[in-house]
Amino acid sequence: MAAWDLSVTVEDLGPDAPPVTISVASDLHVGGVIVKLVEKTQIKRDWSDHALWWDQKKMWLLRTAWTLEKYGIHADARLIFMPQHRPLKLDLPNGKTVRLRACFSDPVFQTVMGICRQLNIRHPEELSLLRPVEEKKKKKDKDLTEEIYDLTEVPLSSVSRPCLYNGMPAHFAESEKMEAVYKMLSITQTPPAPEVITKQYRPASVVDKAHINGRWLDSSRCLMQQNIQENDRLWLRFKYYTFYELDPKYDVVRLTQLYEQARWAILLEDIDCTEEEMMLFGALQYHISKVSQSEPQALSTNTAMDDLESALLSLEVKMEGESSSATELLETMTAPELNDYLKIFRPKRLTLKGYKQYWFKFQDTSIAYFKSKEESIGEPIQQINLKGCEVAPDVNVAAQKFLIRLLIPAPEGMNEVFLRCENERQYAQWMAGCRLASKGKSLADSSFQSEIQSIRSFLAMQRNNSGSSSNAASSDESINTHSLVSPRYHKKYKTKQLTPRILDAYQNVAQLSLSDALMRFLQIWQALPDFGLSYVVVRFKGSRKDEVLGIAPNRLIRIDLGVGDVVKTWRYNNMKQWNVNWDIRQVAIEFEGNVNIAFSCVTADCRIVHEFIGGYIFMSTRSREKSDVLNQELFHKLTGGHEAL
Amino acid sequence: SESLHELEDTDLDALMADLVADLSATEEKLTAEIQGLKAPSPPLSSSLVSTSATSPLPPPQAGKPSKEDIEAQMKADKIKLALEKLKEAKVKKLVVKVLMNDGSSKTLMVDERQTVREVLDNLFEKTHCDANVDWSLCETNYELQLERTFEDHENMVEPLLAWTRDSENKVLFQERRDKFEVFKNPQNFYLWKKDKKTLKDMKDKDKELLIKENFCGPSIIVPDLEGVLYLKEDGKKSWKQRLFQLRASGIYYVPKGKTKSSRDLVCFVQFDNVNVYFGKDVKNRYKAPTDFCFVLKHPQIQKESQYIKYLCCDDDWTMRLWMTGIRIAKYGALLHGNYKAAEKKSVVSSAWTNRSTPSSSNQSTPSPTIRGTRCPPHPQEDFGNLPPPPPPLNEILPPPSPDPVLPPPPPSLASKPSGPHRKQPSGFPPPPLGIDNNLPPPPLPPPIDEAPPDFLPPPPPNTGIGSFPPPPPNTGFGSLPPPPPPPPPPVSSLPPPPASFGGIKKSLHPPPQDPQFLPPPPPDPVFTSAGAPPPPPPPPPAFAATPRANARPAGSVKKMPPAPPKRTTPVAGGGGGGGDLMSELMLAMKKRSDH
Repeated sequence: MAAWDLSVTVEDLGPDAPPVTISVASDLHVGGVIVKLVEKTQIKRDWSDHALWWDQKKMWLLRTAWTLEKYGIHADARLIFMPQHRPLKLDLPNGKTVRLRACFSDPVFQTVMGICRQLNIRHPEELSLLRPVEEKKKKKDKDLTEEIYDLTEVPLSSVSRPCLYNGMPAHFAESEKMEAVYKMLSITQTPPAPEVITKQYRPASVVDKAHINGRWLDSSRCLMQQNIQENDRLWLRFKYYTFYELDPKYDVVRLTQLYEQARWAILLEDIDCTEEEMMLFGALQYHISKVSQSEPQALSTNTAMDDLESALLSLEVKMEGESSSATELLETMTAPELNDYLKIFRPKRLTLKGYKQYWFKFQDTSIAYFKSKEESIGEPIQQINLKGCEVAPDVNVAAQKFLIRLLIPAPEGMNEVFLRCENERQYAQWMAGCRLASKGKSLADSSFQSEIQSIRSFLAMQRNNSGSSSNAASSDESINTHSLVSPRYHKKYKTKQLTPRILDAYQNVAQLSLSDALMRFLQIWQALPDFGLSYVVVRFKGSRKDEVLGIAPNRLIRIDLGVGDVVKTWRYNNMKQWNVNWDIRQVAIEFEGNVNIAFSCVTADCRIVHEFIGGYIFMSTRSREKSDVLNQELFHKLTGGHEAL
Repeated sequence: SESLHELEDTDLDALMADLVADLSATEEKLTAEIQGLKAPSPPLSSSLVSTSATSPLPPPQAGKPSKEDIEAQMKADKIKLALEKLKEAKVKKLVVKVLMNDGSSKTLMVDERQTVREVLDNLFEKTHCDANVDWSLCETNYELQLERTFEDHENMVEPLLAWTRDSENKVLFQERRDKFEVFKNPQNFYLWKKDKKTLKDMKDKDKELLIKENFCGPSIIVPDLEGVLYLKEDGKKSWKQRLFQLRASGIYYVPKGKTKSSRDLVCFVQFDNVNVYFGKDVKNRYKAPTDFCFVLKHPQIQKESQYIKYLCCDDDWTMRLWMTGIRIAKYGALLHGNYKAAEKKSVVSSAWTNRSTPSSSNQSTPSPTIRGTRCPPHPQEDFGNLPPPPPPLNEILPPPSPDPVLPPPPPSLASKPSGPHRKQPSGFPPPPLGIDNNLPPPPLPPPIDEAPPDFLPPPPPNTGIGSFPPPPPNTGFGSLPPPPPPPPPPVSSLPPPPASFGGIKKSLHPPPQDPQFLPPPPPDPVFTSAGAPPPPPPPPPAFAATPRANARPAGSVKKMPPAPPKRTTPVAGGGGGGGDLMSELMLAMKKRSDH
């Protein structure tokens, strides 16, 4: 067969080097071309990751056994010989940027799998890559050079090693720098400054929310084919809102990043919630930030012990001690009490007297009060059982006001009672007692001390907030509560007003461990009515106006933009088939009962809608037995229909 | 003073042996020990429970193990046991009267730790009913005309303690379709906007998927409910329309002039401290626009109050949607767990019930007692081994019987087991089928409903608790371990039976000819005042009646410490200034053991 000259650009020779020309015949296979090239360059290195990219056809020549003829390559082909894994800047859900080597030749689906393996995120099928929103670069922002966590040094071969060191993949243990990367990945970020939230783009409408979904990359094509260049920036995000077997034990990074994505979705009002829900999200963020700073490694440990066991433990410890008598032992087992002078006020009784001082005794779940300490042996003036009552703080540290507002249920209704404490210490103790008692727990409950601690730290926060704003960053206790809620509430409430509201919500979550708090945050997020909806603006067949299609894990919804309401819901389990007419760019879906819908897509390519639907159907096929192996073939079959080559 | 090491070596060892061997001696022993330790409270009459709860323990009779680690293990186990017993000693028990569909009633002893599910299981055995999932316990509030089905996981005693002393509230044993309807037809709740035909033709696999999606995921999804309801404004008489929305975090409404966007919603109520009730007769009582009213209130509230929230719906189905939705938001996965447990129970039961159809839910069935012609399954064995079981009455009453839960009594006076018969071994077959098959059709002899022998003890000869200060004949109620304050609150759940029921009169008469019969709980003052025919029980001992009179719900704010409650045991009289019952008891014990 006749030989002809093929010129190939070898990237490793530098950008200015001329193409290398080799003599080939049409029956030479691609592998042979590569061998010739390598010989010609005379560079000694590991070429195993290199492959040929055919620039005009936008394709990789990955089948090394195929001949040039079979590929249809002639002398005019512009070929580039280069590594398949190339550096990419990834913007993570937590807002940090990591630079790593990603595969530019595999379909994006597999590329994401490789990325997630490096980052130690299970279930990569739930994530994908999207093009970033163009940032209007302001000049002053350029001064702040962003920190980039570099993972490009990680040898690709080492990533697959499953062995974990300290719960951390081995490749992160190689240097301090690498450990810092892992820390960034696995520990939640401190709440952002309120200005940071305010500055970010916030979607104002469903249509705004729809635009982001036009940016998803095609999972069935490779990065090179989608014009992604080396060192380009992409976002890595959870795309499919169905999180399979989230387990704090194995999913440290996954859980953390998912939390971050959820947190930002809340802060930027990407998903709507009520004020009460926002306060609870705020309280959880505060708690998570606090706990993750104090116990960064305790994510998977569960210290909860039931009281019997802990009592047993203390019993055994006591038994080892020689002098401990049984009497002493039993004393430690009897419930602790609080005794102090407090002031009480019952607004319902229309007496002119305000707060009156009594000697108070807190025992089990009840408060009793007496005229004085001396009379506390006899009958109390009143005894109040706090079980099932509502407890609210009314505190102003600056004004030294420490009120506990109790709403105590009685057969006749709720009775309002205020207890006035003298100081922070007293308030924290009695407040903690009231909270436990309202849940039916006694002072002997193991959470009593930590409850006191959390109340005090929240008081400290208020103290700092009420002081000058400049010293707010001085102590790590001080979080500006505006950092925990969306900007809407920055306008609505001053921090002074916001703090007690978040504190109020905080009392229900203060005892959670870090992983429980993260899980709770995600649970509440997932219980929001709009959770899991990805919006696309579409035009239904026969309709003259734009409408919004919401794509959820189990259904499609049609939102009328005029009404702003869901007008129709279709569930996937009733879906018989769906098709894409690639010529007229129209998605057609048939449901059971002869229901047919068809629409064209406005804010995203119909390929993206198609992939969303197929993707969710793929997600629903996952099962426990096969959870380790991802059925990539099925995924592509369900999502990549148009790539009929 | 005595060190715990010594205690372990001697007393605990002995205790272990005793526990298995001799119950009464155990009590004495343990009491003595605890006395020595100045323990807060001695455990009373709860040994059987503890024993069965710690079945994994190596039997001490097997000889003392020589190895130290085994000893250490035993030591730990013993301490655990001792702690359990201490806990046990504080357990309250309540006498609860449950009204049946036919107007008859059953009186049960309920341990404060028992769940509604356990009480239901107990009732299944007593009534021979088909045990289908719809059987429920409900409470009615007479004064407010409210009704609520207890959830199976709920504690049984707690809501009853909220009743006022003279309450006419009742506990009903009924089939309630609404309890688990959401699991049978989830589409009606989660896809309620779809047309009726689609909902009706829903395939089973689609129903399952709905349950899986909404109850088995990482978070519970509440039905998407939004609509205009009528709200009775706080303390006012008028009703106003508002657009309400149900969310997992509570019920919200859209304020006037605002959009339906989540951030504009105003929180109406959160579910932590309220229960949802069905409000009866609201049109008459409150001039409500419709009679489909649900009510949200704190369970403690028993009387008219501005803190009670009334919401009216346009139709019955909307009301049921909301009530179920609220329960899902409040209880979440617990409801699903309850359903699965109830389903399991009903499957087992229907396997044993040959003639009655388990799914039939005929509300007009006169009495559950006659539903199953055969006896329900016999979970006696289970009961015996269940750690820690809610002690059925037999366990806590003399004479100690090896079988904690007796087979349901054959429903005829003639076959009523007398004292000795009751000492059947565990797993003893139910009453002979022959008797059952010869059962006369309904109505049954009413006395059986009133006084099933398996939970009302014969007048105790007291051999079982010989170590005790001799309890009065009525110990069944009086001497149950009354914890230090509050005093044993035998909640008076014995409202007057509705006069409209003719049968009730008869059923209220205990069979005087039966020597084994023990009077029902002492007559309730309300009972007589309401004009119902008073039962002619043997005159209850005076002291047995007193605690009832003094009974007050624990946790009530207003009625705090009255005169120290009267004791039900003779010791109480002699105890004097001991302060609380337990210490008095202890004193008495000491006297005895010093002897």
